[in-house]
Formats: sequence, structure tokens, C-alpha cells
Amino acid sequence: MNIDNTQSQMRKGVLEFCILSIIRQGEVYPSDIVEKMKAANLNILEGTLYPLLTRLKNAEFLTYRWVESNSGPPRKYFSMTGKGLAFYEELEATWNELANAVNTLTAPIQAADTLTNVNQ
Amino acid sequence: MKKVININFQGRILPIEESAYDMLKQYVDSLRRFFANEEGRDEIINDIEGRIAELFDESLKKGKTCITDDEVNTVIASMGRPEDFDADENIVKAQLEGEAGGGSRDRIYERNTGGAKTLYRDENNKFLGGVCSGIGAYTGIDPVIIRVLFVLFFGVTFLAYLILWVAVPSTSSVVIGSQRKRLFRDADSKILGGVCSGLAQYFSVQIWVPRLLFLIPFFSLVFRWGNWGVGDFPHLLSFSFSPGSIVIYIIFWLVIPEAKSTADKLEMKGEKVDLNNIKSTIQGDLEGFKDRAQTFGNELKERAQVVGQNISDAGKRVGGESAGAAKRTGNGLVNVLGVLLKIFVYFIVGSIIFAIVVALFTGGVILTGLLPAYSFVLEDGLQKILAWGTLIFFIWVPVIAIVTWIIRRIAGKKSSSSIISLTFFAFWIVGIICFVNLLVALGSSFRYRNTPTEQVANLSNPGINKLEVKSNNFNRYYYNDWFNFEPFSTFDDDSVYVKNVRIRITKSTTDSFQVNMVRMSNGNSRADANQRASLIKYAVLQRDSTLYLDKGIAITSQDKFRNQQVIVTIAVPVGKRIKVGDKIGLFDNVHIDMGRGNNYWDWENSLDNEAFEWRRNVEYVMTTTGLERVLKQLNVDEDNSDRDILEELKRNKEDLKQEIERQQRELDEKKRELEKTGDTTYKFRQTTYRYKETAEKTVAAVKTKRATKSVPQNSLFINTMSMPLSRFVF
Repeated sequence: MNIDNTQSQMRKGVLEFCILSIIRQGEVYPSDIVEKMKAANLNILEGTLYPLLTRLKNAEFLTYRWVESNSGPPRKYFSMTGKGLAFYEELEATWNELANAVNTLTAPIQAADTLTNVNQ
Repeated sequence: MKKVININFQGRILPIEESAYDMLKQYVDSLRRFFANEEGRDEIINDIEGRIAELFDESLKKGKTCITDDEVNTVIASMGRPEDFDADENIVKAQLEGEAGGGSRDRIYERNTGGAKTLYRDENNKFLGGVCSGIGAYTGIDPVIIRVLFVLFFGVTFLAYLILWVAVPSTSSVVIGSQRKRLFRDADSKILGGVCSGLAQYFSVQIWVPRLLFLIPFFSLVFRWGNWGVGDFPHLLSFSFSPGSIVIYIIFWLVIPEAKSTADKLEMKGEKVDLNNIKSTIQGDLEGFKDRAQTFGNELKERAQVVGQNISDAGKRVGGESAGAAKRTGNGLVNVLGVLLKIFVYFIVGSIIFAIVVALFTGGVILTGLLPAYSFVLEDGLQKILAWGTLIFFIWVPVIAIVTWIIRRIAGKKSSSSIISLTFFAFWIVGIICFVNLLVALGSSFRYRNTPTEQVANLSNPGINKLEVKSNNFNRYYYNDWFNFEPFSTFDDDSVYVKNVRIRITKSTTDSFQVNMVRMSNGNSRADANQRASLIKYAVLQRDSTLYLDKGIAITSQDKFRNQQVIVTIAVPVGKRIKVGDKIGLFDNVHIDMGRGNNYWDWENSLDNEAFEWRRNVEYVMTTTGLERVLKQLNVDEDNSDRDILEELKRNKEDLKQEIERQQRELDEKKRELEKTGDTTYKFRQTTYRYKETAEKTVAAVKTKRATKSVPQNSLFINTMSMPLSRFVF
């Protein structure tokens, strides 16, 4: 069992949720998403971000438009669709439940101990 | 000191160090492979490339003169390598391994193990375009051998060389970002080896275009078959295509790699090929060609000397090296043999399908052409319906189905819908049912024979010395149709003439000529057959010393054809002569029934006929032992007119013998020709006849046994329903 692997699996699970929540706040450029997540201390590679955005866009959760830039070719700006919003809200509900559950389970030390005992 | 090159990357011109460029290219390639199976991969790669270009642009704006290794490394770190995208290494590995060989891609000499080999034009060892050396490197065969093969088949290979030159990228051509298009065999929409589909992908044309081009020589072959008169149309095209298209196809199949991995497939579809692309490739190569040709000449001279000296040294070394080389060449050979075997199998299968289609088609044409004959054979109602059903569903439906299938395959529609094929199949089953029922119905219509009875034909003057048999012309004019189906010799509106007439010559018991006639017919019952036989109108008429016989039996569409026949028996008294002048009936022979006097109808197997060689337009005389040619009898017969002929013949005998020899030679030549063309017996018969007639004219009565074969006697009784194709006269 690799600790890195487990950590990245955990992060991966909430990645889509985080990205959607950033886009929900308004139209963004992909590198802005990376910046924002970095600011929240959640690192993401752009190489991972682009495929994810494309997938979400193909699922019609996101849409994009070309915005002229003063340097070079136009850039893609992403925003959320109605379908994406519904999807996001469901994710949010799930996240809240999950966070509650995890908090409840992890907060009291006794609970943790019982769990370890059971496991043994 | 580093070389800086300018690249066009996602719409931005970037000065970049060469080493940095290599890194960048490798990185983009690795991304491309990683996302190869991803839906929307092109978009992802474009987005990432766009972002990279943006980052580079930013650093250039900050005052950098060019993109260096450091910049590329920074960008790669921020974008992430494929290995970083997924923590699960196995997935990454699996994804990357499928597309292995990227690193050593432009080093074609390194045969990467297990990975997809790719074909490049070898820039370092090139002579003209580097095609041959590239192929050599790809197959592991010495490029010199490939070159020799290309030169040997020059003309045919010229086209192949041009296409490969244009389509296969050289080892030096590396364009980043949108990769240059490459020629692959497209296995996804292949029929044989995917060569045509690959070419279609490469030149962005519809898939049927290359397929048609490759097929044209085959069409031309069909058109030329037997000079069907389409003339020289395919000849213009065959200059470059025929029969080279097969050779070209085989070359392509062997040489062009199959697009196996997704990356290959991307490259196959790559960017558009335009004329400028092609022009610049060929122009650039041609410029260097002149110099290379010169140096090649010089080198050859030097090398010859050096080789002479080194030959002994080399001999020793070869022992060690040859093992490895043989292995490589062996591998290449196994591939080549595999492909050749495949082609062979496809060729056989193709020939079989082709033969079936042609046979069906010919059958269809003939049976359709015979439509007017139907009413003379078939009864109205069920039989006719069955005949139509057979014609349409049993014959034409499979023809249409196969042709449709071929067209669909050529057009690249691979998945023919099951509804269509099921419909065709159902129709065909209906056709089979019709066919079987028709056979059964016809079988019962022809089932019974009548009881044959002899009728005496009254002769006006039976006591003459010599009887000549001639045909009674039809009392109507008729066309000689384009189409002639025996025994139905002539159609007009309401009747058909069936040449089911045979002549039989026997020895008369009296001293006068006697002519008997037997009428025969089939029917669905004995009474029916008897009735049909009695309806046959056949005229036998004597005028002076000539006996006129009808050429055929007239049958109206009410009568129906039920294999009506007439057998005319001419009894010749001993010492009198007979000569058959015209052709009467279907076959050009006369049955000779000697001595036994039995009325054995199954004369097809009679041995008398085999032993006796009958000739038309020759006088025979009846002796106590049987018929003999007049000439032989002349010594005994003191006939004046005949004696003159004999003397004249004796004088000319030497000339005639020479004439015979000459014609014999001619005949042999024609026979050989005939065997060469492999035609049916039709031609053979014609030549034989021609020979016979001319020979008879010149030789008149000289009896010589010649090696000519008489026309085989086919059984009339059986054959009328299953006429061999050779009898159809187009």
C-alpha cells in the first residue's frame, strides 16, 4: 500500500468538485483555476486540468467561448451550464454528507480506537 | 554554443534552441500517446500546446532571446508529465507501452523490439528520394536488393516509388505540433491489406477512388477477354496500371506499415497534404540527386578496388556476422512470405467468386434471351410462373446481391445491414424453390415416351439407281438471329423449328428404295405422348432422284416442345447409291445400320456408326457387306462417267497428296492455336468443318484415313434439356 497513491486517490475524488465550484463563481481561464487552487493549497497540474475540462465540457456541464487576448491567439474561457449547476449541487450535497461523516468518525479519538479494534 | 531554430507553434513564431526543441517534441509526443485513447484527444492536446505556447511567449516578452532547455523544463514541470497525471503507475505504463517506440522513432535502423515499426525515407543513405533505403531499413533487407527490384520492375514500380516518395516522411522531416501526415495501411476499413483505405486517408479522397484505380486493370482484362469490342479504352490506363496494379499493391502491402496504435491512426489522418508539400519534398531531393549520382559513380570505382582487396578478410568476418544478418533477413522474408501467401489465398477466393458471378451472369443472359422460347416449352399457368421465379430469384437475385456487395465493399460500407442480406437470401430461397418445382414439373411433362411405330413414306419412283437426299427449305423467310439455341433453330411468331431429325441408312431387303419414318415424342402420359407424336408434321418428298426432307419439325406454341423427333430410315438396295447432300437435323452425321436389320433405337451406342466414317456430299454404294464409298467400287463397276473421274484423279494423285499434307499441317497448326486459346469446342468444330469441306472439294473421292476427329455424338434424347454452353452461338 503506497501512501502517495492513497493521497492522490483522495485528492482526485474531490478534484472535479473543486474545479466546478471555481467555475461556478464566474467565467475563468484554465490557468486561473490552477492559480486559485494553488492559493487554496491544492496543487493541480495543468496537464491534468485540460483533459478534465474537456471531459466536463463534452458532458455538457461546461461551455466555453473564445476571448481575444492582446498577446497571441484568442483564449478559451470556461463557464458553467445549467446542467453543470445541477451536477455541481448534487456533488455539493454528497460532499457535505461525506465531510460530516468523515468529521464525525475522525473527531472523537475513541471512535477511531473502536474502529482500529474492530479492524484487528 | 547552441543552434536556434524558429518554429511555428500554435500560431506563434518561437525561436527555440534545437535541444530544447527535441525535448519539447518528445514531451508533446508523450502527451499525444498518453491521451491517444481519450475522447477529444485532439482538443486536449491543442489546449495544452496553446498553453505551452502562451507560457513561452510570456518568457520571451520578459526579455529572453529564445526558448532554452530550462524554459522547456519549467513548462513541463508546471504542466506535468504523463507519469504525474495518474499516480497509478500501472495505468500510465500500460497507456504508454501500447505506443512504445516513440523515442527511437526517427532511428529506423534500430529495430525496436515489439513496438510498432515505422517506415521513413532514409535521409542518410538515400540515392534519389531515400525510398529504397528506407524500405531496406524497415524490412531488414539490404537496400541494394530493394533498389535492384525497383529498377527491374521499372515502369510498374515507378508509380509506387512516386507515391512512397511523396507520402512517406523522411527521417529529417520533423514538424512539431500538428504532425505531418503519414502513409499507413488502414486496417479498420480494409478489404485486403488496407492499402487502398490507407491511400484514401492520406490523399483525403473517398475510399472507393483508390480501389477503383486498382481494379481498373481487372476490368480491362474482362473487357479484352475474347475481344468483346470495347476496344482500346483500358489500354491508355494500362500503361501505368495494368497489370502493375497487383505488383504495386503487393509492394505497398509489404512496405507500408499498418496503423496499429492510436498514435499511428492520428498520424495517418494528420494534416492536409497539399501540392506545395509534395513539390517541396521532391524538388529538394532532386537537387541533391545530381551530386549524389556523380559521387556514386566515383565511389563505385574506388569501392570495386577496395572490395577486391578486402574480399579475403571479409570472408572470415562474414562467418560471424552472417548469423545475425540471416536472422534479420529471415524475419523480413517471413513477413514477405506471409503477405504473398495471403495474396495467393485471396486471389484464389477472388477467382472463385468471379467465376460464380460470371457463370450466373451468363446463365441469366442466356435464359433471359431465351424468353421467346418459353412459350414453346412451358405450359401456361404454374410452369410459366415457376420459370419466371427461377429466372428472377434463382439467377438474377444472386448476381445483383454479389454485385451490390462488391460495390458496397469498394465504397467502404463495411457493415452491410442484415436486413438487406436477409432479404436477398429469402429471395434466393424462393428462387431455389421455384427452380426445383420447375424441374419437377418439366420432368413430369417429359416423363413418358410414345410407342414408336414405323410409317412408310410413299416414294414416287423407288426403283432408281441413285438417291440424293436434300433438305426441304422452310417455306418462310427467317432471320438468322444473334442468338441461336439448338434444337430450337428458328423462331417466328407462332412456331419454332426443332431440328430433331435423324437419318438412318439400312440395307433394303427388296430391290427398290424404301423410306420409313418414325415419329416420337414425350408427354406427361403415354396417351399424351402418342397424341403429340401423331401431331408431328414432317414431309418426305421424292422428285426424280432427289429425296427432299424437312430440315426440322415445326412446333407451334400450342403444341409445346416435348422432345419431338423424327427418324427417317432410308433402306438402300444392294448395288444402288445414296448421297446425303444437305445437313438435315441437328448433327452432321447419319446413322448407318447395317446388316442386322434390327430396329434398335438406342443407336447412340451402336458400334456401326463408330467404325464407319460418314461424309456428307459423298456418294456411297450399298454392297452386301454394307455401305462403301463409290471410289473403291469403281474397279468392279464399269461405269463410264466414273471411269473418267478415276483417270483424272490418278493423274492428279500426286498433287492431291501434297495438298492433303499441306492442309494437314494447317489443321495441326489450328489445333495448337485452339489449345492455346482454351476456347470451347465451338471453334474447333468450325475449323474441322472448314477443313473437311475444302479437303472434300479437292480430293473428291480419294479415300484416305485422316486424323480428323469426327464431331462427338451427343445423345439427343438426354441433351435437349441440358444443352452444353458450346452450342450457343453468339
